[in-house]
Order: sequence, then C-alpha cells, then structure tokens
Amino acid sequence: MTPKVCLVVREFGAFNRAWTQILRNLGIDYTLCTAIGNTTGANIQTPQGVFAAGSPDLRNYFRQFDAVILCEHSSNLNDTSRINYSVFWMSWNDLEDPAFLFFNPHFSAAITESAYNSNFPSDFPIVRPDPSDIAGALYAADGGSAASFSPLAATITGGRGACILFLAENIRAHVMTICNTHTDNIPYYWRLDTAKHSTLASTTYTHRVARNGRAGEILAVPAPPSSSEDTETYPNDCVIAYRYRNCFWLPNAISRRQDVANPNNPFLFWLLYGLQLAVVRPRYKLPVQVETDHPLAALLPDAPFNHAITTQLGILEASWDYMRDFARHKNTAIVNGVTVGTKYRSIGSRFHWHLLYSTSRTQAERDAAMRVHQILVAGHREGTTPCGVHDHTIGGGRGYWAAATNTGFVRHNGLRYGAPNDVPIARGRCCVAPHVLPAGVAGADAQTVQVGDTELVEWDIPTSGTGTTFDLPMGSIHAARIIIESEIEEMLALGFPDGYCAGHKYTNTASNNSGGECYWQALKEFGFRGVRSGTACGAGTKRVTPNRYWNGFHLVEEMPLDIYSAVTAGYSWGLYHPSAPSGGDAVRFLNLDHSSDISSGWTTNPALAWRAYRRVLCMATGRWLGTTAVTLGGAYFHPIECLVPAAPNRVMERFDGWGILNAANQPHYNHVVELLENMDAVVRLLPEYLYWGTITDVMDHRERVMGG
Amino acid sequence: MPVRFLKNASELADVSWETPLPVQVTNAKPVPADTLLVATTFVTTDANRDLLGSAATELPTLDGCMQYRKLVWFYFRAGADSTNYRVLARATDHNGAPLGAGWQELATGTLPGNANSWNRIEIPSTGDGYYDQYRIEVQRTAGSNYLLTSKIVGVR
Repeated sequence: MTPKVCLVVREFGAFNRAWTQILRNLGIDYTLCTAIGNTTGANIQTPQGVFAAGSPDLRNYFRQFDAVILCEHSSNLNDTSRINYSVFWMSWNDLEDPAFLFFNPHFSAAITESAYNSNFPSDFPIVRPDPSDIAGALYAADGGSAASFSPLAATITGGRGACILFLAENIRAHVMTICNTHTDNIPYYWRLDTAKHSTLASTTYTHRVARNGRAGEILAVPAPPSSSEDTETYPNDCVIAYRYRNCFWLPNAISRRQDVANPNNPFLFWLLYGLQLAVVRPRYKLPVQVETDHPLAALLPDAPFNHAITTQLGILEASWDYMRDFARHKNTAIVNGVTVGTKYRSIGSRFHWHLLYSTSRTQAERDAAMRVHQILVAGHREGTTPCGVHDHTIGGGRGYWAAATNTGFVRHNGLRYGAPNDVPIARGRCCVAPHVLPAGVAGADAQTVQVGDTELVEWDIPTSGTGTTFDLPMGSIHAARIIIESEIEEMLALGFPDGYCAGHKYTNTASNNSGGECYWQALKEFGFRGVRSGTACGAGTKRVTPNRYWNGFHLVEEMPLDIYSAVTAGYSWGLYHPSAPSGGDAVRFLNLDHSSDISSGWTTNPALAWRAYRRVLCMATGRWLGTTAVTLGGAYFHPIECLVPAAPNRVMERFDGWGILNAANQPHYNHVVELLENMDAVVRLLPEYLYWGTITDVMDHRERVMGG
Repeated sequence: MPVRFLKNASELADVSWETPLPVQVTNAKPVPADTLLVATTFVTTDANRDLLGSAATELPTLDGCMQYRKLVWFYFRAGADSTNYRVLARATDHNGAPLGAGWQELATGTLPGNANSWNRIEIPSTGDGYYDQYRIEVQRTAGSNYLLTSKIVGVR
C-alpha cells in the first residue's frame, strides 16, 4: 500500500516547501490541493476537478488518502476566516474517511460566519480561542511572555516550547510547541472542556486512527515539573494535542511563509507525530545521527569556570565514555572531526596532537588527554565514535582552500607527497585535454590530472623541491593531495586505522570549508565518500554544487547545535550567565530571552533556570530535527566548548536547576547528555519515522531520494 | 525466508522498506534540464547582494555549471519596486579556480515585472553559456523591500 496524503493550501505565495520536501524524504506520495478562498464557501481545487468544500464529491475524493493535512494557519485570533472551509471535514468521521491533521488550526470564536459556527461539532471538546477573552479560553505558555516577533516565525533561534508528556507512550520530551498565538506574540496552549471530553472518552468509536477505540483522546499535555524549583505549571485541563474522532488537533508544524526547503523549521516534530498518529506508513524512516568537531581539545583556564586543563579533560573523558556507550546501545555512530595538522603545523596548544604529545604540557595533562584519546580510538575501531580529519592549521585556520595561498605551509614526512619528495604544488602552466594534445608538445614533466569529468595533461608544473616548508597555493588538486595526505598520516600516527571515519568514508570539514572540486576529487582519491560542507565552501570564490552531490561525492549540509557564539565568545558560559559576553551563553546565543523573562529574574527566581533549560533543549532539538528531516544534513557541536558549564565533580548528572552548581556557581548543565537523551525520547516517540542511524545511512538515503 | 540481493557489489541485504530491490526504469527519457536553485530573496537597497543574500562579490551564486548550455531564471516578485539586476559569469580551471578575479557581465538592467508577476530571463539571452560560475545580483533602487522568489533551471 503506497502511503499518500493530501496537502490543502490556500496561497502558494505563503507556502513553505519544507512540507513537500519532508514527504519526499519519507517516500510519502502527496497531492497538493488549493483552497480557493478562506470561507466555508471556498472551493477546493484538486487534480480531479473543483469541489465544494462540504460536498460529497470532495469527501469521496479525500477517501483515497491516508491523511488530509491543513497547511494554513493564522497568527491573529481576530481573523474571521482562515480555514473555515475545513469545518465540514470535522464531521467526516466514517471508517472510510481519512485522518485530518490540523496543525495550529484557526478555530477562533471571532469567526462569525454562520455556516462555520453551525457546522462546528457541538461536542468538540477544546475551547475555541476567544480574542476578547484570551485568559478564559487559552493558557499562556512558556512563561506567557511576548516575543519581539511572531513566535511562529522562529527558525534556528528564538524558539518557544515545553517539556511535553505524551500520554499513550508515557514519554516526556522537549519539543518546540505552540498551539495558537495572537498579535500579542505570546504562545498559547488549549483549554479542554472536560465534560465534553469525558463524554467522548467514553464513546466507542471505530477508525484505524482511534488507537484506544474511543471518540476522544488526549494525546499530549504539558509535563508536570520534575523539580519543586520549577513553578511553571499548567492546570489539569490544559492540552497540547488531542484526537477528536479522526481529526487531530495538533500544535504548529511548519511556519507559514514563502520559503525554500531548508532546515529552519524547528516545529516539524508535530508533522512527523501527526503523520504517525494518522497511521501513514512512510516508505523510509529517517536516520538520526550527530557529529562533533574537535572531540579532544582544551580551552584556556578562563572565567567564569577557570577549569584547569586536567579538569576540562576529565569532563571530556566522562562525556565521551557516555557518548560511546550511548552510541553502542542505540546503534548509532557519533562522527568526529579530529583536529589534525598540529603534528606539523602548530597553531596553538589546545588541539589533539599537542595535548597528547607536546612537552609544554604536563605529564598529568598528557595522561588525561590520552584517556580521552583512547576512548575515541577504541570507539573508532568498534564503530561508535568514528573519527576523520578536520584541519584548522591551513587556510588561515579555516580549512580547505580558505585562502588563496597558505604561506609557510609545513608538510609531512614520507608517503607519496611528503618531504623529501619533489611533488607538484600548483596547477601546470599549460593544461590540454589528451585527445586534442598534439604529439611532442607537452613538457617533460607532463602528467595527467583528472578533476570530475575533466581530464587534462599539465606541464610546467611548480613543485615543492625537497624541503618541508614552502608557500602553498591552495587552489589545485596537487595542494589538496599534499594536505589530505598529511592529515591522514597524522591520523595514522595517532593510532587511528584511517582518516575517514572507518567504513563511513566521511569527515566533517574545518569551518565547513570543503574546498571545491579539486579537494572533492582528492578526497575521493583518498577513499572519501562525502564531507560536511557549508554552501560557500572555500577561498571566497566557491560554492558547493547546486544539488550537493558531485560525481558521486556527498556535500552534506551543516547545522550547528552549539550553545555559544564562536565569533563573540569562544565557549559557553552555560544556559545563562549574567556576566556572559554577547552570545556567550545558550539563552543569548539562541535568542531565547523573550521580554527579558530569563535575564530579569535569573538571580532571584530559580524557576527561570528551568525555563532556560526547556527552551534550549527545544531549540537545539528543533534544529537537529530540521536538518534530519528536511536537508538530510549533519548536525554537530563542539564538545569542550559546550561542556565547560558541567560541574566537574558531577559531570554526568542530569540538569537539576540550582540543585547542582557548576564551577561558576551557576546551574550545572551537560549539553551532551541532555541533547542526546532528549533526541532519544523523540526517536522513541516516532518509531515509524526515525531511527538512530549513521552518516552512512544519511548518505545512502540522500542517494535514494535526491534528484539527479 | 527473506529475499536477499547483492547491494553495493559486496553486501548481501534483505529486501525491506529501507533496502528495496534495485530496479531499472525502462522507457525513461533523460531529462535535459535540472533545477539548480530555488531561493527567496529579500530585495533591499544593499549593493552587490546576490540571490542567496551574499554581498561577497567574488562568491558565485551557482558553481559547477559548465554542463549547461543555458540557464533559465524564473522569478515571482512580490513587489513592483524599481530594482536593478546583474547577471555575471566566468569560467574556472579544472580545479575549480576562477581564471581571474572579477566577472564577465552577461546582462544588466531593470528587473522586469510588476507586483505579484511571473517573469522569465534566459541566461545568456543569446548564444550558449557553458560558464562554470554565475552570480546574479538584485538591488532595489526605489520603494520598499519585497520578496523575490526565484527558480533557476539549467538546460543541457
């Protein structure tokens, strides 16, 4: 049976292409139908003709689908119409009718259209939002503060959400959640009419989506606090998600805006959950995986934590032990970009090789680093923490071809491209395709070079000489080969059996610079299948190929999950810190301090730490899901930069507000543990849609669903 | 007994949702055109902003386009506000490095179309392209900012 859904949209001028991209990635067939108008009199344009919204013809047309999805919503409760035409569908509840998925639906009491109100089911158990009496009809959510923008417009920052309790699954998870909003920019959750719900919950109802065999079912509610510190509670009649017969009343899923298919859709959990509730069985599940950059690194012992190097490495050791164990149990692989290059091209004292072997480090520091390193090597060999090259020593610290020339480049010794071999370092002065090259023209140093589909004979090629140090023009395959070989040589010297994450044949590039064609070709020559890459990928003159798939080589889109700004801070000061620099804590970096409702009372109201915790987890998980479901990309974080807010003597403790303090006397927070466990809750909630996979699964899936 | 097949030349895989049997589509005609870009651009008075919002003048909007004889730029503009556009192109060597700095200007002028109108521009307007890199810039010269939604198709 082919999964198939119908999307009903009013205006393509405000249609977010993430809707259809996600369905394509899941292998769910879809049909787009257009509502010609907002009112009950609107016709629905379908591929089989135009039908009145309440007509038997439309009802019969809908019956070919597993689910009908309403894509429209409003951010103004005063609107008198938005999806009024859908009111008829709430009464199409027969076994043959599809599930109807309403995300952030507009069913305000401000709707005056008589045909809407007379057809609205009298036993519907959620109180209709009333803009003239918001407090009596809705519950202000997530602190009830106003954002400076519509909360539905959150992309990769500015999120709102809660810890949600999913009742049937008995799972708690932090997900971006807004049931309705208004011009006041406050997120709201719904109020349940408990008498009507009680009647529905005791009424037998048969439909494939009624898993409890009843006409009404509360699906999700705000989770009760897990700490007495957390005073942000909701009344017992507050609901997040509800099934009314075969109609699902769900929070916002995809922002209503003209946009391309990008990962900036942090609410999409609710789309996946709705599809699963509607028993839409996708052809494919989506692999969930995560990456890190710099799995072994250290920071200067600066404020506010002033961690000694050994303390930092102790935090890393405990966290990596946990991550390796997590990956083993969940059958995933946490891919890591090991900072290489420092064996030959030192750029400071805080990276992998230097921490292990530099005599400027104390023996205790080197020993602590070795303990982390051994976890990584063992994990690489067993498949839980595969590691690949990640070189910040070139291109001014920004990786492959991030500068036109790498002045004073230091290469490795031995192998094919190392000293003392005299090897090409730049493109030949003359390059001619072999099939049009006249005999006897090419110089004595001629060699054939292939980049992608192009094969040329080059001669008059600048070479390195026998020395180790020279200025290296970065924009050629010759430079790429030298650089990549030196990186792999260092990985081997570190004890890794390869430089490309073992069987995954992948790595995440430094600064997400993948270099361009010559680097992709050289990486292929060294056995790579793909790399993580930003769209602007090197030297300020390069973009990745339009489809991010170059001659069988994957250019996986990036999505950071960090909780600090690498530009303004360099590491995280925790969830929030009153003295943090701009972007220096998670709340500031992710723009989560709505109406100053975290910063203004941080030192006096312990509940605000919990608010910050919830928002950070919702936002980070939303980013991760966006890249998992829309762009099939690679989400990543920097371990030590995100882990210094953990309490060094209680590293693996879960967040407990002000009950556990870190070295800055602020709430302890371990980003690794919290993020992985929250995403695991999401994966467990969506067994038909997500699974813990690997970057290989991601690349396999890209090949499966991507166009040519 | 599960049905198995040879996957990736060396791996035996069970037939499942995740690993369907490989099939060859018969009677399929090659598609001579590819969608290269779909982007929504907020058109402002900023100078040198391309369709991806970048003002870095050496950064291409599209790269790796040598296989395309022509690009077709479809766009829908939400505003009629007066806007200039420039289409730039250049070739790279086989390593992907531009042969030099700067660009060849293929087209420039006032962006055609009214508010909420559909439009189409061929790149280049005459002859063939086969350039490796293109940069397409838009700059509003009067009125208010508006959204420009573009699709660029590469024709082989």
